[in-house]
Amino acid sequence: MFATDDTIVAIATPPGRGGLGVVRVSGPRALEIAQSLISRQAPLEPRVATHTYIREKTTSGVVFLETPVDEVVATYFANPHSYTGEDVIEISGHGSPVLLERIVQLALAAGARLAEPGEFTLRAYLNGRMDLVQAEAVADLIDAVTPQQARAAMDQLDGTVTGAIKKIDAALFSLIARCEASLDFPDEGFHFIQQAEVRSTLSSIADDLRALIATASRGRLLREGRTVVIVGRPNTGKSSLFNALLGRNRAIVTPIPGTTRDVLSEQIDVLGVPVTLIDTAGLRESHDPIEREGVARAGEARAAAAMTLLVLDGSSELTADDDFLLNEPTKGRRVIAISKADLPPGMVPQFVAPEGITVSATTGFGLDELREAIVREVSSQDDRRDTPMLTNIRHIALAQSALDAAARALAALDRGATEELLLVDLHDARHSLEDITGTRTIDDVLLHIFTRFCVGK
Amino acid sequence: MSATDFDVVVIGAGHAGCEAAWAAARMGARVGLCTLSPETVALMPCNPAIGGTAKGHLVREIDALGGLMGLAIDATGIQFKLLNRSRGPAVWSPRAQADKRRYGSWVRDALCAQPNITWLFRRAGAVLMSGGTVTGLAFEEGDRVSCRSLVVTTGTFLNGLVHIGDEQHPAGRAGEPPTRALADSLHALGLAMGRLKTGTPPRLSRATIDFSKFPEELGDVPIVPFSFTTPRDVLDGRDQIACHLLHTTEATHELVRQSIDRSPLYNGQIQGIGPRYCPSFEDKVMRFPDKSRHQIFLEPEGLDVDEIYVNGMSMCLPRAIQESIVRALPGLETARVLRHAYAVEYDFVQPTSLLSSLAAKDYPGLYFAGQINGTSGYEEAAAQGLMAGINAARSARDLPAVSIRRDQGYIGILIDDLITQGCLEPYRMFTSRAEHRLVLRIDNADLRLTPLGREIGLVDDERWRVFESREKRLERNRAHAAGTRVKVRGATTTVAQAIARPDVPMAEIVEAGASFETDAQFASFDLATVEAEFRYAGYLKRHDAELARVRSQSDRAIPPAFSYEGVPGLSREVVERLEQVRPTTIGQAGRVPGVTPAALAIVALRVARPSKY
Ligand SMILES: Cc1cc2nc3c(=O)[nH]c(=O)nc-3n(C[C@H](O)[C@H](O)[C@H](O)COP(=O)(O)OP(=O)(O)OC[C@H]3O[C@@H](n4cnc5c(N)ncnc54)[C@H](O)[C@@H]3O)c2cc1C
Repeated sequence: MFATDDTIVAIATPPGRGGLGVVRVSGPRALEIAQSLISRQAPLEPRVATHTYIREKTTSGVVFLETPVDEVVATYFANPHSYTGEDVIEISGHGSPVLLERIVQLALAAGARLAEPGEFTLRAYLNGRMDLVQAEAVADLIDAVTPQQARAAMDQLDGTVTGAIKKIDAALFSLIARCEASLDFPDEGFHFIQQAEVRSTLSSIADDLRALIATASRGRLLREGRTVVIVGRPNTGKSSLFNALLGRNRAIVTPIPGTTRDVLSEQIDVLGVPVTLIDTAGLRESHDPIEREGVARAGEARAAAAMTLLVLDGSSELTADDDFLLNEPTKGRRVIAISKADLPPGMVPQFVAPEGITVSATTGFGLDELREAIVREVSSQDDRRDTPMLTNIRHIALAQSALDAAARALAALDRGATEELLLVDLHDARHSLEDITGTRTIDDVLLHIFTRFCVGK
Repeated sequence: MSATDFDVVVIGAGHAGCEAAWAAARMGARVGLCTLSPETVALMPCNPAIGGTAKGHLVREIDALGGLMGLAIDATGIQFKLLNRSRGPAVWSPRAQADKRRYGSWVRDALCAQPNITWLFRRAGAVLMSGGTVTGLAFEEGDRVSCRSLVVTTGTFLNGLVHIGDEQHPAGRAGEPPTRALADSLHALGLAMGRLKTGTPPRLSRATIDFSKFPEELGDVPIVPFSFTTPRDVLDGRDQIACHLLHTTEATHELVRQSIDRSPLYNGQIQGIGPRYCPSFEDKVMRFPDKSRHQIFLEPEGLDVDEIYVNGMSMCLPRAIQESIVRALPGLETARVLRHAYAVEYDFVQPTSLLSSLAAKDYPGLYFAGQINGTSGYEEAAAQGLMAGINAARSARDLPAVSIRRDQGYIGILIDDLITQGCLEPYRMFTSRAEHRLVLRIDNADLRLTPLGREIGLVDDERWRVFESREKRLERNRAHAAGTRVKVRGATTTVAQAIARPDVPMAEIVEAGASFETDAQFASFDLATVEAEFRYAGYLKRHDAELARVRSQSDRAIPPAFSYEGVPGLSREVVERLEQVRPTTIGQAGRVPGVTPAALAIVALRVARPSKY
């Protein structure tokens, strides 16, 4: 573990993207160090963005020169009202990595330490500026490639996941309180909770956890991008299209049918949406075991895919295989590409598939239209996210262990276990949920009992 | 031995003081036991019962260490029950109705039989100190004694104020004058102190009640004893009394509502905070208006006394109204009130000023135990008294203090909660306070604590012999369970596996051919231990693994001189709390109210890597 009381510096924006870059300095000496880097002499005022220059001391022979290196905006956030809860100075300049690196170098020379990955967020967490879910979401936010991913990360920052977990936790807590009361007040002349209610409450808690975990696959899809599977009979130009969308050669493109024997996948940015593009082996009955394996994998990929991209060879006539694929009921959505628009047509596209998009991997014709269609289809599946999503692997694991504990309690209940045993698992489940947010609620089980029930003599 | 020079002086012979004096004397200390009257030794000012959920656990732990309370109640109980019988062995809890008068005199006789104890029937007035260390005690009567350790167990007496309706009079308990000089002396030491309240219901004349109207509540046969060393013949054939159950009515609730502004609890006359788990009758009616009736138990205060305790009706309404309420209950129309219900407010010492030895942090040699530390209940008082007595005796001999971990006993939880969280209201033990509940059972209290009791010289040869033979039987029983096969409900498994099924009672497994060794003379819970160990096996294994994991972190010591001031990232409030409690381990720091996981992480980091400047 690293020290938590020195001054750290790092570039706070993701590398190589965007027009602006920010260097963040945090810690007890942040102000002093930052002040020494800029040409402005007057002290920076809290929460005021100050336009200034980075100055650099260079030696030319025996003479010190101070050169204004570049224009920046420096903002001072006094503790505790800052991202980390410490004194923070954010220096933003244009996003050139060279400038940002230089500012960091200067700060290091002035006595700061290079922050470890996530260390600003760690400090924010340690200083109580955010809970664990939020802290982890920040890392995701910084990493977010696309606006939609950024929104999922924002959701967590706002605490919708925290909110969903708190709701499950509240149900669990009330169940725990009533089971505890049954043990501590056995002769009150009434039941705090009946076995049937324990079972139904537990089941609904387990259902809620399951639902939350189910969002994880969707959440992960969002994080990792949606999957688009390219299908079509052999040699319709799938691999060429794959490469064209990818922008580089990956699939082996040869005129021999069945060349693509394996499932190729690649993550690409389609107009801002991360998409996992999967190229499948041409669908064909084959005796070649390798090819058969490829075909099998293609089937799996399609089952999991959000969208299929059916490729028809526009330069040849429609075959029975094409017909089969066209009429195949699809689970997800589908975009049809009619390929090889650079060759003489072999079919009348409007006839075969009026919604088809005519494209040419060779000339690039129709590719933009195809991209737009892909984005439209994959995005339309993203219903407005009012349900919170688990996107972080640690959260998923903890939610899963809460669910496991709830399931253990249910199984124990069925075996006739009494409260003191159920409570072991119920408390376990609760601790897992609390570990997601990194908070321990100081809600006293006993307080809950005494305000809800008239117990004791 | 001079009669004015002691190793340990104990002030107060309530449940805390009696255990303290007993423990210290049995460990060889010369003990002075200072109390107001021989008539009120081990008095039960409230309900005539010992034990109950979690409290019963405390009593067995006291017994396992070599204390008094288990023996006393076994000797003088007049109705015994094992609570939570329908659940697993971890939450079985013994409770007994006591013959109050006999209980008190049994304890007094036991103490009188200790040659190391000198009774000092006097009024303690001031703690004597020299250079911050205790040197003795001055009495209000003017004389003084010297001692190396002083244990203060004055219960509700410090600036006690009794309320009955608008009547208010200074008293430690009804009819007993309060303790003022000693209170002043403690205030002058600068100890953090607060004010609490408790109450007791009216006592009725048995002769004026028609019991035929009420269902009877009877005791268990055979009786499950509190003490590991009570021989079976002491309890077999014991005559047990009946208690009676009735319910309050709308008419009685209406009486409360009509005169609620005459209750000191509701008109602002009482400032002290009362226990939520012992709601007054006023609270029951006013806070739970939807409940149309509340349970009342009529409990005899002894075999041959006229007084009946009205369990469930503590209040402090004016006397005349109390009488109308009682007589409005069907079956009590002609009942006569012998003693009226009352509430008492008293000063207590905020236990965050204490170490886990129960000595005051700033005053070596000065110990506090019992209700003066903000607890309520006889068992809680006795448990603290025992530990304070043990540590007072050890410190008088310059031996290090002993304490009990939270995973080792309810006594450990009690004391850790007190010194870590302090008291905002009277503290009572509950099993829900025990995070290691499956381990802290009544059947294994001896396995958990008797070796410690032996080590510190409190467990005598007789108890040790009983313990050792029980351990050997247990070994054989474990081997039998693991190695014998039985057919239960169609399935042939080892006895151990059969026990693991929560739906199969032990009796059925014994019937199927399991044969366990038990002791004929001592009902020493042999079967219960085997049952618990195998029934809970899966859980206990997980528990042990988790405990080992947690303890490597939580047992890490915080240096006594560690300063929270100036640690970056700790809020003002957290610093103040931690400075006040001064936890000794990371685990304890995490239990200080208001300490967040983030704050704890900072403390842990800082303890592991002290600041560079
Ligand atoms: C009115 C009332 C209602 C209660 N209600 C409940 C209840 O509902 N539930 C519950 O669990 N508990 C209740 N209790 C609490 C329970 O009785 C106590 O917690 C327990 O008895 C405390 O034991 P102790 O040893 O700490 O103090 P006590 O039993 O109070 O003993 C104090 C001792 O100190 C002695 N003493 C006091 N001052 C001096 C002095 N200056 N010099 C010498 N000796 C002194 C007294 O003589 C007495 O022997 C009630 C107590 C009272 C008084």
